[in-house]
Amino acid sequence: MKASVYGGTVIIGMGNPQLSDDGVGLAVAMAVAERLRQHMTLTVTELNTGGIRLMEAMAGFKRAVVVDAMLSGAPPGTVQRFDPKDFVTTKNTFSSHDTDFATAYDLGRMAGVSLPEQVSFWGIEAREFDLFGERFTAEVAAAVPVAVERIVAQITEWEGGA
Amino acid sequence: MARITIDPVTRLEGHGRIDIFLNDQGGVENTYFQIPELRGFEQFCVGRMAEEMPVITNRICGVCPEAHHIAATKALDGVFGAEPTAVAKKLREILYMAFFVTDHTTHFYALGGPDFIVGPDAPPSERNILGVARTVGLEVAGEVIACRKRNHEIITFLGGKSIHPVAGVPGGWSRPITAEERAQIEDTARKNIEFARFSLSLFEKIVLKNPVYLEMVTSDIYLHRTYSMGTVDTNNQANFYDGMIRVVDPEGNEFATYPPSDYREHIAERVEAWTYLKYPYLKKVGWKGLTDGIGSGVYTATPLSRLNVSEGMATPLANAEYQRMYEAFGCKKITASRYEPIHHRLATHWARLIELLYASERMLELALDPEITSSETRNIPDPSRFTGEGIGSVEAPRGTLTHHFVTDERGVLTKVNMIVGTTNNYAAISMSIKRAAERLITGNAPDEAILNRVEMAFRLYDPCLSCATHFLPGKMPLTVSIRDSRGGMLREMRRKG
Repeated sequence: MKASVYGGTVIIGMGNPQLSDDGVGLAVAMAVAERLRQHMTLTVTELNTGGIRLMEAMAGFKRAVVVDAMLSGAPPGTVQRFDPKDFVTTKNTFSSHDTDFATAYDLGRMAGVSLPEQVSFWGIEAREFDLFGERFTAEVAAAVPVAVERIVAQITEWEGGA
Repeated sequence: MARITIDPVTRLEGHGRIDIFLNDQGGVENTYFQIPELRGFEQFCVGRMAEEMPVITNRICGVCPEAHHIAATKALDGVFGAEPTAVAKKLREILYMAFFVTDHTTHFYALGGPDFIVGPDAPPSERNILGVARTVGLEVAGEVIACRKRNHEIITFLGGKSIHPVAGVPGGWSRPITAEERAQIEDTARKNIEFARFSLSLFEKIVLKNPVYLEMVTSDIYLHRTYSMGTVDTNNQANFYDGMIRVVDPEGNEFATYPPSDYREHIAERVEAWTYLKYPYLKKVGWKGLTDGIGSGVYTATPLSRLNVSEGMATPLANAEYQRMYEAFGCKKITASRYEPIHHRLATHWARLIELLYASERMLELALDPEITSSETRNIPDPSRFTGEGIGSVEAPRGTLTHHFVTDERGVLTKVNMIVGTTNNYAAISMSIKRAAERLITGNAPDEAILNRVEMAFRLYDPCLSCATHFLPGKMPLTVSIRDSRGGMLREMRRKG
């Protein structure tokens, strides 16, 4: 995969849409794409495991935004941005079957995979994440528009500076 | 009494963890391994149309969506009384072989292999896939990525969607393949074969030719004599997509061979108060607790157990490797092509690579099948054959996977039951951890290398603890805690996955 093939921005929504709040990353990714689709080329990807797969999902793109449920101890619905340098992982970006994202990213570099110059991670604090269900808890549902606004603003800023 | 906790994810979420309790002499008193269970799956499914199951269950686990998709699709064949066409079965199997290749490759290079290639005593920060690449050559990193990529491409076009396949339908497969796609599958399979052979040669060079590692593999630290389970074809040879379930006893005598639909006659589940996951065991042998031997119903369903039940391998290169492994362990032949079982659990890594080669060769056979591009990919279900009940079974990389659906006369689900790969091995994993801990831990403050060797006892099973979850930022996926008898923390270590 070469950058010239894809270019543009990929929004990766992580999580499982059938595990209550765990699906919030996906919902936010879809909503962001809906808002920006007319203005720029965007690719939306659904992933429910991280590690090497996450690195592969952003291969070939110039910029990547990763949105995921997180469990940091903050109040449910809290939205936070992380940069790769100060970031370890959110709920799904690590895979117990291979590795964490940082290692996967280094592996990609080592293997000559074309990886984005800009990557940002967004976490939305979850409340319910191990119960099968297709609804968000109230705090998490309320956080969706907040996360969408912030991510749209960030991508717009990226595009403006490009 | 001191307690050591090896917590692969995070304790607060109630996910997988290992507790090791020490006695006052610093020896191991007991160990507990707890696996999480996602709640509410049956309620989530009941009331839905059965046809949704292949796309619902493929999201249960981020690691093996393909296994759930295929097992659920096979269960639907039963619900609708629709036998798939011959080519449909082959297309399903091609997708499944591509999945096996990626999964086994990833396990060896990223998860299981670093213990050998980088070394069991290496610092955790180096004991990962980057360490593997630094040790054996940077080009290996490229090979692993390329292997995943070419097989994911097959899964994407054959399955109709990347990551979560959608092509499985009752009675068949929703799309045929073109001549160009067939050629791509053939090319991929040939590359997979070369890569599998390279991986086996690496294993030989690094593990088998190293006396220290060989001693570790063949030592009694990682030894348990249990029953073995696996799916076999009509020649009693391992097959991952379809067949009969075969069980051999610890001596290698055939104990049972049954169709997957009879699983309830053969498998029962033991409930223990301290964990919410049940222990499956062989009903006709009985539950004797977490103990091995011919009188205990504990069994394994792993790459090694699949080879233990198989009369050689169905493909030539894998069969040669199979023979080499059993002969290396000094196993005697007990049939024309099968050996006494291997019970040294670290050999599971070797067996996994033999399966990688088998899956690659099988993929090539299927790609060369004269009817593989046929458009007859589906038998449309005949309403008069509708049964309302189906049991679908495959060998997932981590063990036999069974889906069981019951519906009402409209095809609406009324009951769902699943036994996933790792669950089969729950008792065996618990026993392996305990034994390794007993043999290795002799004091209240075991060092990092010792604890890693205990972890190796569960890592070899590649247990799937549902999708991994964990904290941010700064917290690591593995926490090792050593506690005194009152639960006070003596020492805590954190590390990367």
